[in-house]
Amino acid sequence: MRALVIELRKEKRTGVIPVLLAVGILGAAYAFVSFLIRKDTLLGLPLAPMDVLLTQLYGMIMILNLFGIVVAACMVFHLEFKGSAVKKMYMLPMSVPGMYLCKFLILTVTLFAAIALENLALMKIGQSCLPQGTFEMGTLLCFTAYSFFTSMPVLSFMVLISSRFENMWVPLGVGVAGFLSGMALASSAAAVLMVHPFIVMFKPAVAMSAQPDMLAVMFAQIETLLFLGLGLWMAKNLRYE
Amino acid sequence: MDYIIATEQLTKKYKNFTSVNHVSIHVRRGSIYGFLGPNGAGKSTTMKMLLGLTAPTKGRFTIDGKQFPGDRLKILREIGSFIEAPSFYANLTGRENLDVIRRILGLRKNTIEDALELVGLSEFGDRLAKKYSLGMKQRLGLAGALLGRPPILILDEPTNGLDPSGIHEIRNLVKSLPDLYDCTVLISSHMLSEIELMADDIGILNHGRLLFEGSLDDLRHSARQAGMSADNLEDVFLSIVEQDNAARKQRAKL
Repeated sequence: MRALVIELRKEKRTGVIPVLLAVGILGAAYAFVSFLIRKDTLLGLPLAPMDVLLTQLYGMIMILNLFGIVVAACMVFHLEFKGSAVKKMYMLPMSVPGMYLCKFLILTVTLFAAIALENLALMKIGQSCLPQGTFEMGTLLCFTAYSFFTSMPVLSFMVLISSRFENMWVPLGVGVAGFLSGMALASSAAAVLMVHPFIVMFKPAVAMSAQPDMLAVMFAQIETLLFLGLGLWMAKNLRYE
Repeated sequence: MDYIIATEQLTKKYKNFTSVNHVSIHVRRGSIYGFLGPNGAGKSTTMKMLLGLTAPTKGRFTIDGKQFPGDRLKILREIGSFIEAPSFYANLTGRENLDVIRRILGLRKNTIEDALELVGLSEFGDRLAKKYSLGMKQRLGLAGALLGRPPILILDEPTNGLDPSGIHEIRNLVKSLPDLYDCTVLISSHMLSEIELMADDIGILNHGRLLFEGSLDDLRHSARQAGMSADNLEDVFLSIVEQDNAARKQRAKL
């Protein structure tokens, strides 16, 4: 708990938390505006109203989330490298893997808050704009969890990458490359491509159904834990020389 | 003798380069130990090993009877350190930077003001660290090392970047520390003239090898024995280093 408080204090004036919250607000605003403008076109699609609500707006929301994660992950370790603060941390009686875990947790909770904001907007739209009796709260909650879980591999991967490079342009470049390659390959049916964390995040956005793809969820959980474990191991064993 | 820091054949190799070569230093409790050597002599690497920042290739050391890596956290709790350049969070003020360290060390709040006052940074405590001048960053780094008045201080060239009056001030501060609160200081420099004014004992390092260890009087004595003038210790230091360099070249030729 103390490590978490210290970590939150370190992030003062960095914009790590505001950037993800801003993404959440922006995503929610996009959902409102987009549905308002395209309501008739969207509801005219040959899809169930809940599928329209959850899958047709998620593409842009997901891209916002993705860039929010990339930027926040870059910033969360840049603050350690700028001014060589991380060197001081190694000289203090504290757990460096603990610091890594706290950064991971802060980003996870903030991302969850952003996704919650976006889905609150979807809930409001669903209750007020979908045909009477077609809004399903359970489906929305299920999709919220699905979009959160499939976003986590990118977060876990980006925290790992940004923790290993002092130059912030490297993780930022990796993030952009991940986005472009993920977008190019996301619609492929080959399950093996889901080892690419960005493709997993794209899965709910390219699907036509709001029903979670359990294979993607499984890949997401394995990758999240794998990158987190790798990051913790590196934080413990590959130290500053 | 009661040594608070003792190294035994400490060695650090990077591929084909030996940065620290079988160094055995002995730092007396409550003393100021000056670690001297030209740039690249291995002073910082030795200090980094003492702080667990880099693992020794060979040899071992004890700090207050404790050993790395088993007692890492206990050792770091006793040491205030300043290695190479000052390390700080650019997005935080001086005070907030010290508060982060204070929280990690579990110290009381008033230790921040104490440390800022010791290094003469009290009036700039609320300025963002990224807006500090080089000298102020140096002082902030020192304040971080002095926070909570730790029993051991490891300072690597702490006067780098300071103006003459700043150097004088920090030198006087370091000199007063053992009397002020009973601590031991291991300080490095490449200037004997600086170390001469504050250290009780010195160790001279060149190309990773410890050429001399003892008190300043011992150094004067061995200078006289070697037929050198003991009046100017800077010259003594330089000639010791030059002799070692010449011997190295000779060995390399053979």
